[in-house]
Amino acid sequence: MAGGIWVVGEVDGAGALTKLSREAATAGRALGEASGREILGVVVADEPDAAAASLADFLPNVLAVRAAEAAGRAAAAVVASRVAALAAAADASPAYFLLGATPDGRDTAGMLSARLGIGVLANATSLAWESATGVVPDGPRVEVQPWGGRIQTRSGFTADAGIILLRPNMVAAAPLAARGRVADGPSGSVSDVPVVRVVERVVVESPGPSVEEARVIVSGGRGVGGPGGFVALTELAGLLGGAVGATRAAVDAGWAPYAIQIGQTGKTVKPALYLGFGVSGAIQHKVGMQTSDTIVAVNSDPDAPIAEFADLFVIGDQAAVVAALTAALRARAG
Amino acid sequence: MRIVVLLKPVPDPGEERLGDDGRLDRSVSAVINGNDEYVLEAALKLVEAHGGDVTLLSMAPDNLTDPIRKALAMGATRALLVSDPALAGSCAWSTTQVLAAALRTLEFDLVLAGDDTSDGGAGVVAAGVAALLGLPYLSRAQRIEPVDGGIRVERLSPTGHDVLEAVLPALVVGTQLLGEPRYPTLRGIMGARSKEIAIRTLAEIGLGDGAVGGARATTALLEALPPSPRNAGRIVREPDPTVAAAAIVGFLVERRAI
Amino acid sequence: MTPVRALGRLTPDQRAIRDAVRTLARERVAPRAAQIDRSAEFPQDLRELLAEQGILGLPFPERHGGLGADLLTICLAIEALSAACATTGLILAVQELGALPLLLAGSEEQLGRFVPGLASGRDLIAFALTEADAGSDASGVRARAVRDGETYVLSGVKRFISQGSVASLITVFAVTDPEADRHHRMSAFVVETASPGFSVSRLEHKMGIRGSPTAELLFDGVRVPAANRLGAEGDGFSLAMRTLDRSRPGIAAQAVGIAQGALEAAAAYAGQRRQFGRTIGEFQLVQGLLADMDARTEAARQLLYTACEEIEAGAPDAARWSALCKLVAGDAAMAVTTDAVQVLGGYGYLDDYPVERMMRDAKITQLYEGTQQIQRLVIARALLAHAR
Repeated sequence: MAGGIWVVGEVDGAGALTKLSREAATAGRALGEASGREILGVVVADEPDAAAASLADFLPNVLAVRAAEAAGRAAAAVVASRVAALAAAADASPAYFLLGATPDGRDTAGMLSARLGIGVLANATSLAWESATGVVPDGPRVEVQPWGGRIQTRSGFTADAGIILLRPNMVAAAPLAARGRVADGPSGSVSDVPVVRVVERVVVESPGPSVEEARVIVSGGRGVGGPGGFVALTELAGLLGGAVGATRAAVDAGWAPYAIQIGQTGKTVKPALYLGFGVSGAIQHKVGMQTSDTIVAVNSDPDAPIAEFADLFVIGDQAAVVAALTAALRARAG
Repeated sequence: MRIVVLLKPVPDPGEERLGDDGRLDRSVSAVINGNDEYVLEAALKLVEAHGGDVTLLSMAPDNLTDPIRKALAMGATRALLVSDPALAGSCAWSTTQVLAAALRTLEFDLVLAGDDTSDGGAGVVAAGVAALLGLPYLSRAQRIEPVDGGIRVERLSPTGHDVLEAVLPALVVGTQLLGEPRYPTLRGIMGARSKEIAIRTLAEIGLGDGAVGGARATTALLEALPPSPRNAGRIVREPDPTVAAAAIVGFLVERRAI
Repeated sequence: MTPVRALGRLTPDQRAIRDAVRTLARERVAPRAAQIDRSAEFPQDLRELLAEQGILGLPFPERHGGLGADLLTICLAIEALSAACATTGLILAVQELGALPLLLAGSEEQLGRFVPGLASGRDLIAFALTEADAGSDASGVRARAVRDGETYVLSGVKRFISQGSVASLITVFAVTDPEADRHHRMSAFVVETASPGFSVSRLEHKMGIRGSPTAELLFDGVRVPAANRLGAEGDGFSLAMRTLDRSRPGIAAQAVGIAQGALEAAAAYAGQRRQFGRTIGEFQLVQGLLADMDARTEAARQLLYTACEEIEAGAPDAARWSALCKLVAGDAAMAVTTDAVQVLGGYGYLDDYPVERMMRDAKITQLYEGTQQIQRLVIARALLAHAR
């Protein structure tokens, strides 16, 4: 029987299933339907039950793997080890693994690839099942936009096996009509993972909405002039139901945390709406956001590079426009 | 500390293109992958503080040595370059096998790698190398410091950071927060002339049996297209911010963005 | 920036040095250029950056802490810096110019005393030959150095001395034997500006290279140790001429850099500015301008590199090479920057854009280290000497 599709769920710091895992499960289900392959969800954690139950809202069968060795340890290596062991022991070993393209997801994918000897396609913005062509068998086809979005590629695996990392918002998470079943995975602990202990967890800020998942991003650059300007952007983002992003220049100046930096050495985003204030649009930042559906930019410099690829470019003082836009949106809502 | 830094020569960001064979054209002039510069800087600072040396490890065509020379000019001690015609068109899995095999020929306390590569890399190779070599793996590092017999790393988390510890040897993946890379001084550039770049073929690192390389790629590029062109944008020069804001709102309504 | 490769003729070291300086120029110098011009202040921060990066060490022998670079390598660095900011490129060019008499004629003891500070960039050195009445006619120098035991007493006024107000050492040319003929009456001295009797009496307000202080220097009975005299008494004039043979390529490099900067700014603008429904770079008249600018810049560059190689190899007609490259590059810089303003049209006239500054900066390359007219005399003299 042809190998199945496993969706490896990711568990957040509070033990809950991540939003991206729900999306991956939905995408996995669609892939299962198109291919006729069996689909299974897998959650590995020291306490997997809550996340496994959530995953069962999206998949008919879920395996909850209680990995005691995961407690107080960096998660990705444990997940990879357990999933690889399960795959090897399974009656019908899986052909494909779907994970969210998060830092932990990438780490797990890299280790699974090494342990199982199969390939990885990362940052999928589209996923479909297609029949064989010259070099590739029947299988998943993944679309990716590397090089800051300057090119659009479609790729497949050369064997009937592979690991796929999905970007946020590729699909909308859609639960099953009837919730699926959760079974317990094999018990016992596995000790082939080198120990990386979590000595301390430092919480510095309450996380705002993640820029990678947001549909609307309000972004600030050097032209914002200081941390105060970002307070105004946060308010505007709130009105639009979006997240705040920043350029490298703003992060280097200490006005915004690295977690929201968009660009070459930060995050890549593809929101439906990107608003840049005081953002020049130089290549370091551009490659992180230029595939956004709609781009609006406000900058006092008429020659800012962002003017070349924004859908609407307003030459003006960004602080004044932010204030006026915030007022205008409040008036519409009120 | 004996540190190995994984270094990838990549096309200058913005200059990437596909060659006629459908693969990334590696004949364009190469630079050090941006993220690798941060971990190289971290490695140089670590040996400045604690002694030791820095070896660069790359898998690349052997005509792309300018970035390796720049890294040597920044202060790395020596370089090992795995180069073999069979490697053209390799996938991430092959790269993982090759780097792991090369590392088996070296003695080290710490391997450092950059977050991902700007030429379309998946960002999964370093994790795979750690798995193959059984090394403790610590990623998303914003700070790295040696502690008794081991390494302590501050790992970025969605809510702040986690403090991780592991024994050495270990593999750490770093981020931009490790600090701005230094410019190579001219003295460094001229001194790099005498530093060693050892070149190894696949056979010389024990992978001569055809198990890795372009012919064994696990993925295949089926199609590459320029993205759908954006329509020309509108430019508004409006000194009155209220009017400018109204223009933006009107535009967003028109685009059904709000 | 458009790539300038010169793969064929540069060694890997030269390429690496050029690329490193170019990166520094793009990331650290270019963002300061407009402000340096506007404020007309000497960029101490960039001087320190050049020192830290070892760039000011390029012209000096390794045994005294320098990098021992050849003339072409020094010019590559000047060119790369000048493309971003002519004032900053001049810091290196003047360091070389001021130190050349020492490097050409100094004793090992003098080199040991002065070069370490110069190579590290701790000391800047200026070149003081020109006076109010001795410009093109350098032999008309009137500054006087009178021997008094183991010192000389130096009196006179030097004019138009680049970086004269920020240097700690000045190479001064003064008459030591008024009875000798014009070409044998001068000697060269290294003077420390901390000496009593030295003062800066005037700073000029210039059309361009505004961040480079151009000073009038007053020497009022400055006592200079005889041990600071370079070479023998009476060697000064010929030492000055031999210096210019090696330093003029530095100015040519500055000019080529300025031209390149202007060319890139104009090309970038032409690729973006839209009129009549298309970018102006699609119009043939603009394309013609840009092509001619590129041709002139590249021709000047290749002549400069050849001149450096010839001079470094000890060519007997070094004076001709030096004058040729400076003549061609200076005229190219003026033409290319003028055309760059033209490409930008009305916007090119505004200081919002760098090309008007580059045009103002370019003019000096036709004037100092020998006017274009003097360069022609040097070239013609060399030709006619062979024709005899």
